[in-house]
Amino acid sequence: MASAGASGASVTELASKLYEHCLNNYPPDQLFYQQDLLGLGIVPKSDLALLLRCTQSLVDQKLFRLLQGKNDRLAWKIISREDAEKLQNLSPDESLVYNVIHSTGRNGIWVRAIGTRTGLHKSILDRCLKSLEGKNYIKSVHNVKFPSRKMYMLAGLAPSEDVTGGAWFTDGVLDENFINTVAGYIEYTVSRKSWVEVPSADAHRTKRIKTSDGSVSVKQEAGQKTFIPFPAGYRGYPTVSMLTDAVNESGITPVRLGEESITQLLDMLCYDGKLVALNSGEMYKSVKNPEAVKQSQARKPAGEDKGIDDRLVTNGMTEAPCGTCPVFKLCAPGGAVSPESCEYFDPWLEKALGF
Amino acid sequence: MTSQYAGELCTLLVEDNFGELFARIFSTLNRYDRLSFSRLKFYSRLSNAQLRHGLAAMIQQHLVYHYTSYDDGITYYEPNMQSAYYLVRSGKILELIEHRLGKYAATVMSTIMFLGHAQVGYLETLPALRPSNSDVNRASEERGGIHETEEYHGEEARQETEEHRETEGRPNGLNSDYTSSERPALLHPTLKALAGHGYILRVRDAQFQSYADNALDAERTIKSRPDIKALKGKKLDEAVTEGTLELLKERLDGDLTRGLMFNGVPRGAKRRHTTGATEASNKKARVDYAAVDEDEDGGEENEWSDDDFGEDTIPMESGITVRINYEKLDVALRNRRFLELAERDSSPVTAEVYESLLRRIEYQTAKCRDTTEIPREGEEGEHYSVPVPLRAVVEDVDLFLDLAGSVGPMEVSQPINRRGKRPLEETTNGAAHDGTNGGQSDGNRTYEVDQHLCLLAQPPYSLTSKRMVSGLITWTVEFRHLARKLRHLELERIIEARYGDVALRVVRVLHDKGKLDEKRLQEISLLPFKDLRQVLASMQTGGFVDLQEVPRDALRQPSKTIFLWFYDPDRVGNSVLEDTYKAMSRCLQRLRFERSRLKEFLEKTERSDVKGNEERYLSEAELTLLGQWRAKEALLLGEVARLDEMVAVIRDY
Ligand code: SF4
Repeated sequence: MASAGASGASVTELASKLYEHCLNNYPPDQLFYQQDLLGLGIVPKSDLALLLRCTQSLVDQKLFRLLQGKNDRLAWKIISREDAEKLQNLSPDESLVYNVIHSTGRNGIWVRAIGTRTGLHKSILDRCLKSLEGKNYIKSVHNVKFPSRKMYMLAGLAPSEDVTGGAWFTDGVLDENFINTVAGYIEYTVSRKSWVEVPSADAHRTKRIKTSDGSVSVKQEAGQKTFIPFPAGYRGYPTVSMLTDAVNESGITPVRLGEESITQLLDMLCYDGKLVALNSGEMYKSVKNPEAVKQSQARKPAGEDKGIDDRLVTNGMTEAPCGTCPVFKLCAPGGAVSPESCEYFDPWLEKALGF
Repeated sequence: MTSQYAGELCTLLVEDNFGELFARIFSTLNRYDRLSFSRLKFYSRLSNAQLRHGLAAMIQQHLVYHYTSYDDGITYYEPNMQSAYYLVRSGKILELIEHRLGKYAATVMSTIMFLGHAQVGYLETLPALRPSNSDVNRASEERGGIHETEEYHGEEARQETEEHRETEGRPNGLNSDYTSSERPALLHPTLKALAGHGYILRVRDAQFQSYADNALDAERTIKSRPDIKALKGKKLDEAVTEGTLELLKERLDGDLTRGLMFNGVPRGAKRRHTTGATEASNKKARVDYAAVDEDEDGGEENEWSDDDFGEDTIPMESGITVRINYEKLDVALRNRRFLELAERDSSPVTAEVYESLLRRIEYQTAKCRDTTEIPREGEEGEHYSVPVPLRAVVEDVDLFLDLAGSVGPMEVSQPINRRGKRPLEETTNGAAHDGTNGGQSDGNRTYEVDQHLCLLAQPPYSLTSKRMVSGLITWTVEFRHLARKLRHLELERIIEARYGDVALRVVRVLHDKGKLDEKRLQEISLLPFKDLRQVLASMQTGGFVDLQEVPRDALRQPSKTIFLWFYDPDRVGNSVLEDTYKAMSRCLQRLRFERSRLKEFLEKTERSDVKGNEERYLSEAELTLLGQWRAKEALLLGEVARLDEMVAVIRDY
């Protein structure tokens, strides 16, 4: 018995030595396996039984957290003293819940999942969560992917991008206005770097333009600026980092936006056919020149009448009455809906011809 | 081309162009696909005489294939959907020809079109094709063709004053000296021009049979060859396939360009740049094109054969029967679409350079693609056009085109935060002036043309691509890539018009990334869930996107199922194609209905005494009505042509 008592004392001593050593020499989320701890040379003679007693005592003191590592082997992580203190004040149920929430880190965990993992009854679980939240140990978060689920994570953590959806979400909801503002700013900025402005007084040029029809990028109305493209292989187009800096300096964003967020937006603009990625995303070029960008952006909020040049050009199916006809599927000559009895053609003809 | 709506449309086209008898035969054949004479008679309930007359004419028009079986000696008839369909494209084709080779060429073309096929000797006898002095013109004024010819002369005369006085003055003079009883002076050079461009081809017997019949026939021939008979197994199969294809090619080949091409360019087509505008076409048809053909043996001398025109004297053989080469014309029309794509985002100068390249490519491209089926997304390989040497493009580009002024400087790179644009503008100016005022050296011009072509090679369209061929810079076009682009754009246009720009973004994301669940889709498209769901749902109803369920357990519980959205351009394309056929039919049917509403009035305007003298015989109100009717007709037909453009993009290019 005496030996047991003696070893009891030495266990506490050894355990705190072990803890100190781990705390001072390893990063806070280092995972320790048995061999790792034995290898520290703190437990004499690599006595496994003794080591396990030590770790158990640390776990009891909430200074160690027992985990299952690879291949179901036992492993531990250290807990800081502050956290340990918190945990020591918790009821066993609460600490169970806390540990589960802790284990999911910045991703947070769904209440139901906590239930299944702890095996606690719903009412008990609710009480635990309430008390933990009251102590300000955990917080509930909104997950964009599962807007209807109640999720928790430790109070001190910032939710991961997966949970918030990234910079473009505010409280789990996509912030459309914000996106549009920044996207508009980016398009214009890129556009300014994508075209060369030339004075339209250049007599020879204008003459040339007049002889050819279908001028797209070069407007020639009086007072209009004229833009010409850079040659292929030009390297002065803006990059993601240039654009990120520009956005952050512009004052249109309350938070600093990271390059990933800007890239997301640039991709979107590419899908919209407004920008073109060059060298697989190394640089970006705008399709429209700055004047055209300004015009189309000015028109958007002004009214619902969508400008024609903002769309792809139309084709036969979008023009002909049949292309947009609600009863197209039913229509057959001699049928209830037929080209003869059709009521869409006359208005269409009238509109097109004006009589 | 065997769908219900395509059949409906083709029958309508046949009826509108050739009347009821043809339509009756055509629709019967369309319904039963392949019929012997007696069966055809039974189903169509036509008399022997009607049927014989109809079939003979339809065969001439290439609307019906016929094939006499080796086994039973019975002749079978089949509808030729392709040529029936091309009736709708004729307007577009004539417009293209007129633009390229002038009014007279278009008249010749339309005459051949109208006849189905025609012997050169027969064309010579047609008054409508006899370009002559104005007396003759006036005498036969009611013939549409002559109208055009006359205009052609007007244009020519105008051009004549502008340039090449010495060369052009002469033939004109000749024309008025020699009366129309002489060999038509313009016809042969024009036919040669058409042949050189590949727009017409020689009619071969095999062309009257369907491709499948020809293939079987050729295979039979090959198999009966003794050297093939000696082969066995795999070798035999290979030899048969290869031999069949070769024989087919030989039998169907109606190529007339041989000997009319020089260095990959139709003879005489090279002087485009000297005039500085595309209007050069007339002159081309006239002088340059009256190209000589050393390879052609026969042919007497005509009145052109004095020394000034020594090189363009030999006429087309009058025994040749020619028809329209729709495959080649599709190539030209497709190039025009590529050019339109370039015009959208590039400067007019760049587009013009592109046109020069495309023209060169057109000359050496026989058809749009090798397969008859519509290629499936991701299953077609690359298909590059012939490489055109940069030098050749430079040669073709208008000398007065200011190449330098429309491309910015390479060296100037502005840091993103700097506002001042001063130095930049100055450089541009400087460059522009260098280019225009200073005499341009050849090297400079070559470099500049290359610059424009490089611009076109850039994303998003990659309209050109550069190739080094034995140390020389050449430029090509990747046909399949661009044809696909056109197809996608066509579908995207519909999507944008029906479901808005948000839908367009979603579809492009799906197209690019493949199958996606709603969450990923939202992250990429950055659309609020509500909007996203709404737009996906309505597109699903419209058949533009689809949802795939991937159950994660055997019970297929919805909560454990992943839902993936996807966009299948093949499927969407096919259904849009069907819809387009249908819409075309409806437009034509409506036109017919509109016509029937005005039946009596229109009959009056078509009376032989009224026609051409409308002002004299019709009242004010009637004239207005006539004008309105014509506008209506033009609008509806124009819409059909627009729809045909979509069919071309989805099906033919
Ligand atoms: S009802 Fe009229 S618009 Fe609709 S499909 Fe028929 S003809 Fe076309």
